[in-house]
Amino acid sequence: MSAPAYAELHCLSDFSFGRGASSARELFERAKRCGYAALAITDECSFAGIVRAHEAARDTGVALIVGTEVQLADGPKLVLLAADAAGYTRLCELITQGRRAAQKGTYQLARADLDDGLPGTLALWLPERKPTREHGTWLRDVFGERLWLAVELLREDDDAARLAELCQLANDLHIRAVATGDVHMHARTRRTLQDTLTAIRHRKTLVEARGLLFRNGERHLRRRETLAAIYPAALLAETTRIAERCTFTLDQLRYRYPSELVPAGHTPTSWLRQLTEEGIRWRWPEGEPANVRAQVEHELALIAELEYEPYFLTVHDIVRFARGEDILCQGRGSAANSAVCFALGITEVDPARINMLVERFISRERNEPPDIDIDFEHERREEVIQYIYQKYGRERAALTATVICYRGRSAVRDVAKSLGLPLDAVNKLSFALGWWNGETPMDERLREAGFDPACPILQRVLRLTRELLDRPRHLSQHVGGFVIADAPLATLVPVENAAMPDRTIIQWDKDDLDSLGLLKIDCLALGMLTCLRKTMDLLRAHRRRDLTLATIPAEDPDTYAMLGRADTVGVFQIESRAQMAMLPRLKPRCFYDLVIEVAIVRPGPIQGDMVHPYLRRRNGQEPVTYPSDDVREVLERTLGVPLFQEQVMKLAIVAAGYSPGEADQLRRSMAAWKRHGNVEAHRERITQGMLARGYTQAFSEELFDRLKGFGAYGFPESHAASFALLAYASAWLKCHEPAAFVCALLNSLPMGFYSESQLVQDARRHGITVLPVDVRSSEWDCTLENGVRDNFMPAAPGTDHPGREPAPIIVPGTILAVRLGLRLIRSFREDVALRIHAARAMHAFDDLADLVGRAGLDARDRKLLADAGALRGLAGHRHRARWQAAGIEPQRPLFGFASPGEQAIAIKPPATGADTIADYAATGLTLGAHPLKQLRAQLRARHCRPSRELRTLPSGSRARAAGLVTLRQRPQTASGVTFLSLEDEDGMVNVIVWQALAERQRRVLLQATLLAVDGRWESADGVDNLIAEHLYDYSTLLGTLDARSRDFH
Amino acid sequence: MLWACVLLPSLALDAALRGQPSLDRPFALVTGPAQQRRLVAVDARARAAGLAPGQRLAEAEAVCRDLFAAEYDARATRASLKLIAAWAYRYSSQVLLDPPRAVILEVGKSLRLFGPWPDLAQRLREDLAQLGFAHRIALAPNPRAARVLAGIADGTLVESVDALPQALARVACARAGLPGNTVAALTSMGITTLGALFALPRAALQRRFGKPLVTALTVLLGEQPEALAAYQPPDRFAARVDLGCEVKSHQALLFPLRRMLGDLAAFVAARDGGVQRFVIRFGHADRSSTTLAIGLLAPERAAEALFDVAKLRLEQAQLPQPVLELSVHADELPPFAPEARDLLDQRSANALPWPQLRERLRARLGEDAVYGLRADPDPRPEQACVRDAVANTADSTPLPPRPAWLLSRPIPLRDFAPRILAGPERLETGWWDGDDIRRDYYVLELATGQRAWAFAAPGERGPFMLHGWFA
Repeated sequence: MSAPAYAELHCLSDFSFGRGASSARELFERAKRCGYAALAITDECSFAGIVRAHEAARDTGVALIVGTEVQLADGPKLVLLAADAAGYTRLCELITQGRRAAQKGTYQLARADLDDGLPGTLALWLPERKPTREHGTWLRDVFGERLWLAVELLREDDDAARLAELCQLANDLHIRAVATGDVHMHARTRRTLQDTLTAIRHRKTLVEARGLLFRNGERHLRRRETLAAIYPAALLAETTRIAERCTFTLDQLRYRYPSELVPAGHTPTSWLRQLTEEGIRWRWPEGEPANVRAQVEHELALIAELEYEPYFLTVHDIVRFARGEDILCQGRGSAANSAVCFALGITEVDPARINMLVERFISRERNEPPDIDIDFEHERREEVIQYIYQKYGRERAALTATVICYRGRSAVRDVAKSLGLPLDAVNKLSFALGWWNGETPMDERLREAGFDPACPILQRVLRLTRELLDRPRHLSQHVGGFVIADAPLATLVPVENAAMPDRTIIQWDKDDLDSLGLLKIDCLALGMLTCLRKTMDLLRAHRRRDLTLATIPAEDPDTYAMLGRADTVGVFQIESRAQMAMLPRLKPRCFYDLVIEVAIVRPGPIQGDMVHPYLRRRNGQEPVTYPSDDVREVLERTLGVPLFQEQVMKLAIVAAGYSPGEADQLRRSMAAWKRHGNVEAHRERITQGMLARGYTQAFSEELFDRLKGFGAYGFPESHAASFALLAYASAWLKCHEPAAFVCALLNSLPMGFYSESQLVQDARRHGITVLPVDVRSSEWDCTLENGVRDNFMPAAPGTDHPGREPAPIIVPGTILAVRLGLRLIRSFREDVALRIHAARAMHAFDDLADLVGRAGLDARDRKLLADAGALRGLAGHRHRARWQAAGIEPQRPLFGFASPGEQAIAIKPPATGADTIADYAATGLTLGAHPLKQLRAQLRARHCRPSRELRTLPSGSRARAAGLVTLRQRPQTASGVTFLSLEDEDGMVNVIVWQALAERQRRVLLQATLLAVDGRWESADGVDNLIAEHLYDYSTLLGTLDARSRDFH
Repeated sequence: MLWACVLLPSLALDAALRGQPSLDRPFALVTGPAQQRRLVAVDARARAAGLAPGQRLAEAEAVCRDLFAAEYDARATRASLKLIAAWAYRYSSQVLLDPPRAVILEVGKSLRLFGPWPDLAQRLREDLAQLGFAHRIALAPNPRAARVLAGIADGTLVESVDALPQALARVACARAGLPGNTVAALTSMGITTLGALFALPRAALQRRFGKPLVTALTVLLGEQPEALAAYQPPDRFAARVDLGCEVKSHQALLFPLRRMLGDLAAFVAARDGGVQRFVIRFGHADRSSTTLAIGLLAPERAAEALFDVAKLRLEQAQLPQPVLELSVHADELPPFAPEARDLLDQRSANALPWPQLRERLRARLGEDAVYGLRADPDPRPEQACVRDAVANTADSTPLPPRPAWLLSRPIPLRDFAPRILAGPERLETGWWDGDDIRRDYYVLELATGQRAWAFAAPGERGPFMLHGWFA
């Protein structure tokens, strides 16, 4: 007798966080093996995993039934299944209602929420251990013939008795009974992980939670033969009858763009055309070049064909709002760098300027939904978000979710805790296994950390960690991805509360949206845009110079010369140490070089070993060759070396015969291969395809390995182009308006790579006067004042960068100095600064008591000002300022603020070193002598040479240098090398520490604040490094200097 | 009056280490939540390796790979301070507890009893060395000054009030026990020593730092007495040692036990009493424990005598499992004089309260013959029935009926045709401690009419293993 047909109607995937132990894919593959007719995914009050289930169902051919399990607060537990589209919509609304009524991660539903009977749904009643008859009668009244009683026989209690009891109950109440399995995992072997998840969910160890675990592993997709032995045939047959009634699939969902952006009398096509033509006249008042016109026509035709107009109109509307509010923004992404987007003001990348780029960004064959990310000033993005909410309403606009998954560290931590390992062991394990991918053997690492890999508990930890890795953990808010729809979103996808108040997210992430063809717009925050806007505001105020991103002079040789010297502190994207090491080698000479510069210093090209071949070819040290003309066409602009994600896809198409759609799949599997399956599956395909097209085995293997290393971290050319534009703009401003630029940078912190101290030192080395924080002239922000050239470092050309003399800085008109603002005082409040500013605007302060009285400063404010040295002008040195500031008594009605007649007390001023320490502690920087300058005599006695001297040494010399450690970096891509930056009074020394030395002198390397290095000085192509041979900890010389190192581990 | 301050500079470390054989690697105490474990105290070896209190544990371990880190036990540290106070009570009737790590005692009156200060100081030091605490002692005319001076240098001696200002002048403000955050503020104004502080007008100080600073100064200089609560010795003794690892041999238990009984002896001696009955409890890894009650013929207070008795009893005792934790309790601390009986005691001679009856039964039938039963939420039947352990209140899902009489280990069922009354109940669980079971349990009616609880391999209907009987 063959096994009876069966459909499982009650099954949780791992998107029922802390309950389901198997992914939808595992469940569907098992259901297929067991020959199930259909599988319902009924995650608890959630559709977060339903798109993945839909994909798995499509791939396995087992029908998906969309459903959800809910526990009513005042009633029974139910499974609700979507029979048709109306039912699906109703369930989305119900889940939304339940989730919105409760805190993030929980839900609240009651009988009243089901009053309308949920048309279009089927309901399964999950009775308790002792069934409540009243639940049954109530449900029957609500659902009528759409109600079943779910009989779950799980070999926990006495199955025969349970079956008899429930059948009797069903009979009494005239409800049909059906077999369901309360499935929590695809196979019995997942039992241990399911137990572990249960313990984690209860925040207990397994031993503590032992009474809460399922007592057996029956809650899996059981074989039909097994079920036949447990359930009467009628109950099994009922499952397929129910499955047949559920005809809804996610393919029936129809998403529509918001339609209100098109005025009456226009179609989306005609309206986009009109806006584009207006934009063209704005961008090219004297008429557009012919190639631009052709490009625009080509793009508009394509957009019309793919019906993407509403998307461009939506983006345009958001950008138009930002522009109206004077919020700087910039679009990027595959569609952003088009002529249409330039005309609409979405991007500033002028297609005429980098014409060769544009053609590649939209292509008909690729049929990829347009993808535009918009960056906004980081301080003002919230205004944009509020605009979107206000314009479309909270029903129609929501943020997308990000699925937070278990990573090495979090997985091992939760597993080890649940197995009851002591706290310190948990920490050590999570450190040792922090970056584990679940595959490579970890025995060595574990032994190093003091564990015995063979011990059974550790084996359990490893096995469970491997199973838990990459499983979803909870939903979080995407940084800025918005979904906007024409109809309320809750009819399409459930919406729930995010952790932030007043934020709602949909239950799907961006891959889910991609999969269903829903479009999203990323509204991101970018610090550099804030800085650029502030710079341009300062220039308007102080220079009468009105610049925009589009009117900053293009292709300026001075700017490129500066970049070639790696003089890029503060410049967007190309200011990191790694970028600075690349700039003198690449020496960008035009905008496209910058696009490459932005993209090349990335893990992708580095791991794919593409950097050196590119540099050799660029410098003419290696011939530029192509294995075929097809490949030449793809790679010509990068000299035959693939650097961009788009090139990878194009190569797969022209060289390995992929269709555009398959190439897109390849890109996705490279980006998230855990979700879609292993990228190795493509190896065979690519090498075979290339061999068939006459490429050599070696070339195809090499290409594939590069693509693999490159894959996940590949940077798209379209993004690089937008970033390069901002890099260029910031570089131009740094080159030509350095005072305004650094002033704006300081006012936009925190952002970028450097601390305020490093920015100020760099500015002063460029001859900009920086004036201290002073209550008599500082505002909240840093400001520009008239000044004179600073003699902080008497710019002696030739000693700083021998042979690389800085270009003279052209300063038209007045010389500007930067006055540090009160915002630099740590923990000082902006409203207090504004009060000081307002009081000062009336008339200057007479003395401390006058300041305190008129600006209403409390003891804390006074202390912060005194500590920062901002009272110098009113009260003298720090000790005196603090003594006086503390002595002012609270206001009394008649006398105002006063320091009652006190006898003068002799207080000695602080020593220079103490003042320096206080400077750093209060503001993070000092304008006095650099600490290393103060220590120079002692350092000389220890044979340390200042960085200025190092730079005069021939390459290969041995030297000892000392400096404050401002950076300790051990990149994943650098196989154990640690990069250090040491700061002294003249600048930075870059130190490279090989792994062996780092191991040997671990303590000094990790702990020294002031570090001295014996090493070999290497200088080539304008890049200097000190290769460390021995390290010394000189921190004691510093006393308690508060110079904070920024560790990036 | 003269006050001696006993400062215990490494109290937390001593409290943790003095129960243990000496370590041969750097040692540190750590505390804090999982993400930010920090060192609280480090021993000399660890300090030499560059570790310091306040450091992050991860960082410390990166620097010092063979570091042995133990959890800082604030309770044990406080208990140690109380022990010192109890001990000090032996030498003075006025003992002040100055947490976290000082005990101050009035010795002016004690000198008559114990001889001149150098002799008394010598005795104090010997005792402290015996108890295993590093210490510094200073003498001053008021407790506050004694405390400050002890913090500066061991053995400092200031006997007259007039000499105080000069003795204190060079003390850094940071080490003068000044209130709250005034030290940081003073330092920031360049006022770093008590001398500089004494020189400032008190009115100006009060305006800036409030009354507490000025009060602290007057107290320190003895211009104003300080109202301090005197230490009152408790009337029971409890001490506990976490052994840090599982100890199997009796021999290894003797070391900490000797230390604890030494503490007990010091404690009872200080209150001029003795101990007649005390309990030693051995805690095991599974949270069960074995207790050893020790009664003496008469109150005793000599450390060696207590230890000898305990050692004898321990050698006879059977410890079922390795020991993780050791504690000593003494609730009855009688004076040497015999206790007076209540003439009007109304209890009948035969009606014994339960604890006493239990003890009698135990004495007759043996220690193991009398025990309590408790249901444990563990799904495995063997683990679900626990003998007389600490009450455990873990949540649990309801279970089907379980037999009242569970066999200690399952045996083959001899009935070949039992009738299945209920089941199977499948149990697949317990993997987390390596003791995974997979069984189908049935309620069976045997030919004899008895109802049995038995299991078979999953999916099988026999052969059965008998595991319990239903009443």
